[in-house]
Amino acid sequence: MKLNICHLYPDLLDLYGDRGNILALAARCRWRGIEPVIRQASLGEDLDFMGMDILFLGGGSDREQGLLVQDLMRRGDELRSAIENGLVVLSICGGYQMLGKFYQMAGGEKIQGLGILDVWTSAGAKRLIGNVVVELDEGVLNGNSKFRTLVGFENHSGKTFLGAGVKPLGKVLVGNGNNGDDGGEGVRYRNVFGTYLHGPLLPKNPHFADLLLELAILRRGLGTRLRELDDSLEELAHEAMVNRLLKQA
Amino acid sequence: MKRTWRFWIALWAGKIITLGLLVTGKKGTTLPGKIANWIDPQIMRHLSLAYKDGIVMVTGTNGKTTSSNLLASILREAGRAFAFNQAGANLVTGITGALIQNTRWSGLAQASLALLEVDEATVPKFCEQVSPSLAIVTNFFRDQLDRYGELDTTVRMVRESLPKETVLVLNADDPLVAQFGTNHSRVVYYGVERTPDSVNESRETREARFCPLCGTELDYTLFHYGQLGIFNCLSCGFHRPEPETLAQDVRPEAGLLLFRVDVTQFEIALQGYYNLYNALAALSAARQLGINDGLIKKGLREFIPQAGRMERFHLPEGEITLTLVKNPTGFDQVIQTMLGIAKPLRILIGINDLAADGRDISWLWDVNFERLGTHEACIHQVICTGLRAEDIALRLKYAGVSEGKLVLEHTLTGALDLLQTNRASEEVAFILPTYTLLFPLREILENRQKNMSVSHLKAKERREGATG
Repeated sequence: MKLNICHLYPDLLDLYGDRGNILALAARCRWRGIEPVIRQASLGEDLDFMGMDILFLGGGSDREQGLLVQDLMRRGDELRSAIENGLVVLSICGGYQMLGKFYQMAGGEKIQGLGILDVWTSAGAKRLIGNVVVELDEGVLNGNSKFRTLVGFENHSGKTFLGAGVKPLGKVLVGNGNNGDDGGEGVRYRNVFGTYLHGPLLPKNPHFADLLLELAILRRGLGTRLRELDDSLEELAHEAMVNRLLKQA
Repeated sequence: MKRTWRFWIALWAGKIITLGLLVTGKKGTTLPGKIANWIDPQIMRHLSLAYKDGIVMVTGTNGKTTSSNLLASILREAGRAFAFNQAGANLVTGITGALIQNTRWSGLAQASLALLEVDEATVPKFCEQVSPSLAIVTNFFRDQLDRYGELDTTVRMVRESLPKETVLVLNADDPLVAQFGTNHSRVVYYGVERTPDSVNESRETREARFCPLCGTELDYTLFHYGQLGIFNCLSCGFHRPEPETLAQDVRPEAGLLLFRVDVTQFEIALQGYYNLYNALAALSAARQLGINDGLIKKGLREFIPQAGRMERFHLPEGEITLTLVKNPTGFDQVIQTMLGIAKPLRILIGINDLAADGRDISWLWDVNFERLGTHEACIHQVICTGLRAEDIALRLKYAGVSEGKLVLEHTLTGALDLLQTNRASEEVAFILPTYTLLFPLREILENRQKNMSVSHLKAKERREGATG
């Protein structure tokens, strides 16, 4: 079996070790005998969103984000229909913001987003930086998941707010999350996940990495369950941080 | 500018605290600097005016300390006296403290020149008060992002705060640094023609993939390492400037780096091409200060590596090399150096996430550890320690180092013991800590080294006693 994983704009959105997410997805496929086909795609390249299994959009600096929104707008319709068809998307920080409706700058100017997610972002006065622990919403994970938490590192000045139709991934136990006000972090719409968590996110949250893989396989209609892996090191890394942060808090 | 009563109180308070620290056997320039700045926030300005031959500032992401120390070695060789913030105390308080140490009670400076390493995020505050005669900018890499926000901001802040009259000594091969010269009247560049490992294609982390002036993707004919190389913007014409100080015939040999500039052969007792750039920065600045190539050559050769920068320790079980790691580019260079030895490796990696290390450790995933994975047979053991021991172990697992070779050990002495236990004679040992683990590890290593020489001496005495 093959899974098509697309890392969009790795040359532009490559802050904070986000490529670790791709490394984690690829390794967790390989270890199960699934062949990961990794495609790195940048500005102006032809893309077949429908044929992809997982799309990853990372975070970048403000200068670079501007360039991308235009490029993505051009492919907005195709991306939207793939998403309605169940395409698995992981978007982090800048990528998360771009999938929303708009980004309101400090001066009031609005940069249009793709409007795929019912969220919007406004520039905050201070940068929200630090380690984060999120208690995942019951609906997000499968029943037999090893953890009920996500652990990561946030670094953003934009504050993101959710519309009435969508729910956050979970509740912040340590850190700021979406906006530092309402205690929510991230969002899920169909198989699209948005979050502010770097770290990178997936290596230390293997249950979340496997959720993305499972959803992708499910969409293909293959229905095979993922084989269990020896995640003892992943679990140690996850627990070490969760315990340390909850103790500090 | 007139010195106020605040200045004198601040200076004297600073000097008294410096003395007090000295008497109690403590080192430190930070506390006197902190108090003096609190009394007179303009004290750096007043102190700096006393240096009639000017101020040499060294900034950039990597190589500030080594470049400064190399230049200091040249200045000593040339018999020049200078004030120096040697301990790497490169924030406002440390710089002030160093200047106070070199200022007499009368307010006169003890030297006519000051050599100051300045943290890149401190440059705006520093240049608000001090107008350097010479400013060396080494490079810009991703480093401790959580402290400074994004790289673009840092570069812009440094660029905007450098005074017009300052002579800039710039790394021509780093587009982020070379751009500083496009709008500045007095600039000298240094650069590298090629190294034996320069390549036409690079997949390493590249901070400056895009032209810093117009945003178009840069065209490279050669990469030396990271984003350093021979670049050209096909859209706006920005290109790697012609360096006045150009290193040619570069080659590593027996722990040394050899290179030629114009007709002079140089050598430094350092490894890694990043140290070639540090030497070129020092060489370039020394030329600006009117020092001839003969003295520069001697100064560079005399240089002894600084604490924790490829520093060697001799222990009973074998030699250990200790070197600081703090960002992807630096770490990639260390990996290249380790694999270049082509012997089996035992490695101790210590990752902390305190403020001085950088709270965000995601940079570990930008390090090309996959090279250790592809040379897995060379890796005999990796011991992981520090607050983030589990994170680095996990990173190595995903890089393809088998889990059987990874060991977690949270105590430093325990980790060192493991590194030396059952060590075979052909195995080479490296210790790679982040900043806050460097000094604790160094202390343990120094003690073990000292104990070894003491027991050697005792054994020798016993032998001589027996025969005598």
